[in-house]
Amino acid sequence: MKAPALSLNGISKIYPGTVALDQVSFEVYPGEVHGLIGKNGAGKSTLVGILAGLIEPTEGTISLGDRSYHSLSRVRAKKEGVAIVPQEPELILDLTVAENLFLGILPSRKGILDRKTMRAGAEKALSAYGIGISVDLLAGDLSLSERQLLLILKSCVVEDAPIVVLDESSAPLSGRDALILRKIVVDLRSRGKAIVYISHHIDELLDICDRLTVLRDGKAVAVRERASLDHASLSELIIGEESSLTGGRPEDAPFPGEEILRVEGLSRWGTFGDISFSLRRGEILGLAGLRGSGRTELLKALAGIEPADEGEVFLRGSRVHFHSPAEALAEGIAYLPEEREKEGLLRSFSIRDNLLLNCFGKVCGGRFINWETSEERALAVFRDVRIKAFSIHQGVDELSGGNRQKVVIGRIMTNGPEIYLLDEPTRGVDIGAKKAILSTVSGRIRNGAGVIITSPGLDDLIDVCDRILVLSKGGIFTEYERKDFSEHRLFLDMQGFGQQDRRGGRECQAV
Amino acid sequence: MSGSLKLRLALLDNIIWMMLIAFFSVCALGIPSFATWTNMVNILYHTTIMSMLVLAQGFVLMSGNLDLSIDAVLAFAPGMAILVSVKWFPGLLGNPWTAILLTLSIGALLGLFNGFCVARLGMNAFMQTLSVSIILRGLVLFFIPLSIFPLDPVYSFIGKARIVQLGNIPAAIPVTFLIFFIFHVLINYTVFGRNYLATGGNTRASFVAGINTNRMIILGFMVAGILSAIAGMLTAGRQDSVSNTMGNGMTLLAFAGALLGGTSMSGGKGSAFGMLGGAILLGMFSNALNLLGVKVTLIHAAQGTLIFLAILIDRFRVALRGSILRKEQVRKLHHSLNEQAENVTSY
Repeated sequence: MKAPALSLNGISKIYPGTVALDQVSFEVYPGEVHGLIGKNGAGKSTLVGILAGLIEPTEGTISLGDRSYHSLSRVRAKKEGVAIVPQEPELILDLTVAENLFLGILPSRKGILDRKTMRAGAEKALSAYGIGISVDLLAGDLSLSERQLLLILKSCVVEDAPIVVLDESSAPLSGRDALILRKIVVDLRSRGKAIVYISHHIDELLDICDRLTVLRDGKAVAVRERASLDHASLSELIIGEESSLTGGRPEDAPFPGEEILRVEGLSRWGTFGDISFSLRRGEILGLAGLRGSGRTELLKALAGIEPADEGEVFLRGSRVHFHSPAEALAEGIAYLPEEREKEGLLRSFSIRDNLLLNCFGKVCGGRFINWETSEERALAVFRDVRIKAFSIHQGVDELSGGNRQKVVIGRIMTNGPEIYLLDEPTRGVDIGAKKAILSTVSGRIRNGAGVIITSPGLDDLIDVCDRILVLSKGGIFTEYERKDFSEHRLFLDMQGFGQQDRRGGRECQAV
Repeated sequence: MSGSLKLRLALLDNIIWMMLIAFFSVCALGIPSFATWTNMVNILYHTTIMSMLVLAQGFVLMSGNLDLSIDAVLAFAPGMAILVSVKWFPGLLGNPWTAILLTLSIGALLGLFNGFCVARLGMNAFMQTLSVSIILRGLVLFFIPLSIFPLDPVYSFIGKARIVQLGNIPAAIPVTFLIFFIFHVLINYTVFGRNYLATGGNTRASFVAGINTNRMIILGFMVAGILSAIAGMLTAGRQDSVSNTMGNGMTLLAFAGALLGGTSMSGGKGSAFGMLGGAILLGMFSNALNLLGVKVTLIHAAQGTLIFLAILIDRFRVALRGSILRKEQVRKLHHSLNEQAENVTSY
C-alpha cells in the first residue's frame, strides 16, 4: 500500500476546562476520499483548524508525505499544499470570476497582468466540469451556491493542491451545483489527490467517500470502510449511546395551556414551504434541522423580519401579518437572533441600556424615561438571567460570549412577550452559560409564554422541549412528543431519510 | 463601583470640558484682555452659529450617518425664505413670523429629502448630501446674486438683539443654551433618544429589536436641517442681511467640533453638552489667536492642529478608560477570592 499523503498521529488539543480533541489519529491516502463526520462540538472544527494551520495542537504530530511536524502554520500548510475550502464562500465581490480564481497566483509578464492566460485558464477550469459561468462576470453577481463552487474550483483545480479539505462545502450548494461538486471530487480522486470530506449529511458521505472517520466528544471513535456501513450503522456511530436527559427541565413543569399561535401553510419561496403547526401557552417547541433546512428563515418570517410569501399566521385566534419586527414586538412576539454580534447586541451601549432597549415604552409609560424605575427593572433582569459582570454600567464588549448572549436574552424578556422565538440561544457559549440559559428558558421564560427554540445540537432540544418538529429541506418532516424523544430517530429524520423507520414520529404535512 | 472610580470615569467622559478649562486657564494667564466679561460674551456670541452646526452634524453622526449639506442649508433656508417673503410675495407672505416659519420648514424639508434618500432609497449619505450641498449652493448664487437687506427686526432678533435685562448679552446666547438643554433631555431622558442612539450603534440589531430605524434616520436628518436653518437665521440676523456666502466652508469644522465633543464617527455615541464644549473650544481657540495677532490663514492651520490633537487625546482616553475598568475587574476578582479564602479558613 502507498504511504499516506496526510496523517495525524495522536493529536490532542486541550483548552482550559475542555478537551477538544483527544488522541485523534487518522490518515488519508492519495486517491482517497476520506469522510469526517460528528455532531456539533465533536471536534470537527478544531481538527480543520489544525489542518489549516490556525490552531496549534497540544500533543501529537502531523505527517505530510515523509515530513513530520508538531504543528502547521498557515504559511506552511499552504506551502505543503493543504487547501481548505471553508463553509462560508469568501470571494472578492468586485473582482471577476477569472481574477478570483487566480487571486494570489495571478499570471504576469514582468509585473504586468497577463489577462489572456488568466482568462484561458479560468475558462478551461470552468468548462472541464460543465460550469456555465462567464469568466468576466463579477463575483458579486453570482449566487451563493455559484460562489462556493468557484471557491472549490480555486483550491482543487486552479491551485492544484495535493491535499484538499472540504469543510461542509456542500452546505450552500444548490442541487445542480452539488452534482458538479461530486464530479470534481471524483475527478480529483482519479488524479490521485487526497481529499478530506466533511459534511453533516450522511447520504452525501456514503455516496462519495471511500472511508469514514467518526468523531464523538473529541475522540475518533471509528474508522470504517464505506462498504461496511449503511445509514443506520453510521448514525449509531455518530450518536453513540442515547444521551441521558441532563435535567435542565424541571419535572413539575406546568402543563401547556391554550393555543396561542397557529401557523397554516406558511411558505417563503426557496427557503421553506407549507409549514403548519401550533404552539400553546407554556409550551417549549423545538425546531430541529440541519443548516439550510429553513429553521432560521421560519423564525425570521414569524418575527416579521423577512416576511413569508404565502400562508397564514393566527395569534391568539386572530389572523396577523407582520411586515416589520416592530409590529411583531407590539403584539408580544420577541425574537432572539442567531447572529448575536450582528443582529442582537448594541456594542456602543452599556449592559443596562442593552437590557432596557425593548421596554422603555412599558417601563415609563410614555416618552420620557424615569431612570430610577428603569434601572431597577434592568437590575432585576440582570440577576434573573445571571449575567456575570460587576456592574450593569459596564460595556457589553467586556463580557464573555455566554454573558453577551444572556444580555440579549434578558433584553427580549424585559418586555414580557407572550411568544419567544429563540434562534440558537446556546450557540457559541461555554457550558456554564449554556446551563444557565437553558434553565432560564425552561423556568422563567416559559412561564405564561409559548417558546419556539432551535439549537445547533439535539441535546439541548431533547433537554428542554415539550415537543420537537423536525425540519428537513424546508418542510416539516416529523413531529415528536416528549415521551417519544430519541436522539437516534431525530437525527435520521433531520437527514431526511428516516421514513421507513419512523416509529414514534407522525407525518404532519397532511395536518 | 467605588466613588473615586466613578469620578475618574466621569472626568474621562467629559474630557472636552477638562480641555476647555485647561485652555482657558493658560489663555487667562498669558493674554491680558482674554479673561474679561466682554471677551467671554464675545466668544460665546461668535460660537452660537458654529455650535448649531456642530449640534446638527453631531446629531446626524449619532445615527451613524453624516450630512455635508448643513452649511448650504444655512445659506439656502433663510435666503429663500427672505426672497419669497420680501421680494416675490411681500403681500401674501410679508409677515416676519411667516418668514421664520418658512425658514424652519425649508430646513426640515431639505432634511426630510436627505433622510428619505438615505434611509428609504439606500443612498450613501456622503454622496447624497454632497450632491444636495452643491445644488443648494448653486441655487443660492443664482437666486441671490446680491444681498437682501435690511431684515425685519423680528426676523433678525435671535441673531442681533441684545437683552438688557441679562446684562446686555446677545439673545443668541440664551437661545443657544436653551436648544442645547433641550437636546440634552432629548438624548438622555426620552425613549426617542435611546432608540435614536441604538440605531446609530447597530442599525441591523435595532431593526431586529423592533425599532423603526428608517424613521430614526429620517428624523435625524430633519433635525439637522432645522438646526442648520436656525444657524442661518443667526447668521442673517447678525449681519442684518441674507447673502450667498453665508456659512461657506463651515461643514468640516462642524465635524471637528462634534468629534472634539466626544461624538463617534461610527455612530451610537454623543452628548449635547460635549458638542457644546467642542464648539466653544473651537471659538475660544480662534479668539485667543486673534487676540495674539495671528494672521487669519494661520488660524486655520492652527485649528487643524487642534483637531488632530483632539483625536489623539481621544485615543488615549479610550485606552485609559479600558485599562481603568480592567484594573477594577481584577481588583474585584481578587477581593472575591480573598473572601472565599477567608471563609475556608474560618471553617
